[in-house]
Amino acid sequence: MAEETWQDYKEKKHSKPTPLEGIKVLEVCTLLLGPAGPGFAAEMGAEVIKCEIPPMGDTCRDLTPFGYLFREQGPAFAHMNTNKYWLGLDLHKPEAQEVFKELAAKADVIEDNLRPGVMESWNVGYRQIKEINPGIIYISKNGFGQWGQYAEENRPSNDGASQGFSGYAWLSSFPGQPPLKSRLYICDNYGALTGELAILAALHYRQRTGKGQFIELSQTEAIMRAMTWVWPYQQTTGEVAMPAGNRDVSICPADTFRCADDNFVAIAAPAPEEFKGLCTAMGKPELADDPRFKDHLTRLQEDNATEILKVIADWARTKTPAEIEKLAEKHGFAASHIYTTKEVVEDKHFRARGFMTEVDDPIMGKYFDHEFPVMMAKTPPKVKWGCRPVGFDNEYVLKHTLGKSEDEIEQLYKCGALGKWADVPTRRPPSNWDGKAGLRTA
Amino acid sequence: MEQRWPDWIRERDDPRIAHTRPEALDDITVLDLSYKNFAGCYCSSMLAEFGAKVLRIEPPEGDFIRSCTPYGMLHKGEGLNYLSEGRNKFHITLNLEKPAGREILKSLVKQADVLIETFTPGVMDKWGIGYEQLKEINPGLIFASITAFGQFGPLSQNPMPDYDNITQARSAVQSATGEVLPEGKTYDECPWAVPTKAGPWIGWAQPGTFMAVGILAALYWRGITGEGQALDVSTTEAYARFDDYAALWYQETGIVNERFGSLDTAGWLYCFAPTKDGAVFLGGLRLEMWQAFADILGKWDEWDAASWTTLQIFMRKEEQLKWAPLVFAETRKYTNDELVRMSVEYAKKGRLAPITTVVAPVCSPDEPMKDANWLDRGMFTPVKDPVYGEVVVAQAQHKMTETPIRTRWVCRPVGHDNKQIYAEYMKFDSAKLDELKKAGII
Repeated sequence: MAEETWQDYKEKKHSKPTPLEGIKVLEVCTLLLGPAGPGFAAEMGAEVIKCEIPPMGDTCRDLTPFGYLFREQGPAFAHMNTNKYWLGLDLHKPEAQEVFKELAAKADVIEDNLRPGVMESWNVGYRQIKEINPGIIYISKNGFGQWGQYAEENRPSNDGASQGFSGYAWLSSFPGQPPLKSRLYICDNYGALTGELAILAALHYRQRTGKGQFIELSQTEAIMRAMTWVWPYQQTTGEVAMPAGNRDVSICPADTFRCADDNFVAIAAPAPEEFKGLCTAMGKPELADDPRFKDHLTRLQEDNATEILKVIADWARTKTPAEIEKLAEKHGFAASHIYTTKEVVEDKHFRARGFMTEVDDPIMGKYFDHEFPVMMAKTPPKVKWGCRPVGFDNEYVLKHTLGKSEDEIEQLYKCGALGKWADVPTRRPPSNWDGKAGLRTA
Repeated sequence: MEQRWPDWIRERDDPRIAHTRPEALDDITVLDLSYKNFAGCYCSSMLAEFGAKVLRIEPPEGDFIRSCTPYGMLHKGEGLNYLSEGRNKFHITLNLEKPAGREILKSLVKQADVLIETFTPGVMDKWGIGYEQLKEINPGLIFASITAFGQFGPLSQNPMPDYDNITQARSAVQSATGEVLPEGKTYDECPWAVPTKAGPWIGWAQPGTFMAVGILAALYWRGITGEGQALDVSTTEAYARFDDYAALWYQETGIVNERFGSLDTAGWLYCFAPTKDGAVFLGGLRLEMWQAFADILGKWDEWDAASWTTLQIFMRKEEQLKWAPLVFAETRKYTNDELVRMSVEYAKKGRLAPITTVVAPVCSPDEPMKDANWLDRGMFTPVKDPVYGEVVVAQAQHKMTETPIRTRWVCRPVGHDNKQIYAEYMKFDSAKLDELKKAGII
């Protein structure tokens, strides 16, 4: 039974292995599209060494909601850079490039999100690394890929540009209103996730054949892939796919409705028994047999959909979201009020499952954050530790992974190949750090 | 390097040569039992694109999800979402409500590596084909469940069906996306200034992708240990995982992230801006990039951009609300094309060159489909499907040198492959198939 499989999952999580143990990843990434991917891998147990240019490192450290910090760090940065090892390596310097190559010789995966050609100009591009490690899986992520007109123009890109370029934002607005940007850095995060998918597929192939490969990922292509019906619709009708606000044009009814208290509720009830349930809840069971609404395909047609959504909207205005949620449970359709962040953080179900998981970090302290959202019964992914300043694990990585001596390490600091964080907000450790906590000994 | 990087890599990962390459997952067999749930279908698509042999198992009347199509539109009898996501899958029918159907499933499970299912937790157990039962006949099986609430936790037995718009509402993402109600206005006057969901089914595609990543990680683990396991994705948790900073921000300050239109709570310069003929995205997450935009607009002196020393100040809410109208008044004077060109030119000879601002047009989705760049990169190459004719779906989003993805066919009607698959896996002949069909089992 499912209860057996998942019994004490949260409690036993930390005594179980993780699925990608032993996989070594080198990250040369900044902002979100880059670091989020190795962040996922690290939560699944891969050993990720994050290389940053000292002393400022990853620009994501600057992202702060209205200027607020989390334990003196950027909260988005803290969220997606868990379980990593931190190396401050200035890849402009030949000595740093040599260190990188030594690490690359022992790595399984390299991830970068720089513009095409930059890694190669630092002598650590795919063509150079595969000479020393033919099994390497090397992924470059950006807006436009490695070739084609936009890549050749060397256009910069990022999440917002991708939301714009793909039609995703345009399709996520209200008709007649300007296009709306998502609160999520959806193209960064989703692009990063699909990057891990390709890496894992490549890893499976390498397990079978020993062969590595290069993967190019354009975040715009990744998000366009997820916009399923849009492309065959435009092809077969010759028309532009149109925004529809909160209405789902592929499911009827599915929309967000304003309630009596000026709060909102999302409702979906397309399947026959669900739609019947909704009609009964509205006190209008006869609507389920109305020829305009009798089956899903008929109901989806523009005039019929407009009609039924209006009926539901008028009804919803007389109820609160909580009342509608109760009726949904009773009558077997789907409804939810619009959750806030506060509710997600404090939600009992998410806590009980360990999705909102308590992190206890030696330098960041205790806090709740999202766990990796694939629960794996035998190999649970998990957040083990939080983010760190630039170069925090320099000594550990160089001694432990490469066997460098104190003298060699000192030389690397002297020539500027190695470095640590700048003593400025968002870059230095939290002010209550004692100078020791969290440091690893090789 | 003798050959230019873009030429070298294109020779090796252009989707036009994908059919000449091996497939990463062609040793893997997947059973997809998804019902009324696009996340499951999308998940198995992700694996089928990499060459996994996916047996898509539907009830004899077909999956309801096929009827979830924009405005009720069909192409040769098929809904447009399913038309995109039936890709590369063999379609068979099997009635799991009948014991004889479940016996057939067990025989298929013996020959499979992965099973994907989306029933309410407990349904598979009740049928005698839950994870605990199936692992007895195939200990290496990876059993992947995608549901609204997950397999355990206080809400896991809640039968509420899983829909994209509900996930978007429950994840707290919708609450933080949307236009702000202008001061003194009501929802009646501005029905578009409400919590707004994304148009595409991201609340299904993204959890499906997460599960595909989890499946491949579990496969990697199985490659080392021989052990299968159960996996659990709650669609709401998966989508909430992308809400980068909101949970940490709330815990530190008690501030709940709210809608901020097409500005960005955590970044400046990072917004959509109106233009003469639409809107552009503006991105300048480093001080110099914001200064460059002031310069591009000819406001370097008037705004005293030379005196700016940090971006942090501009991220504050009141500063964003002060600066946005000033910037928008300028961008309205130009077309999208003009602004894009001004940014590209600035990178060549501007005061801060090569630094410039990211400027990207916010497109309607017909533009990418006509864009020579994406056509050249194989994103919208029509698939010649034996049943559905030439169909445009988004594809080729992973470009890989050894094991590129491909779309062999877009979709299949209900039960299309019964004869072939049941002969191959069960040795059923036509007489046996007829008999099972009459008994309502396939």
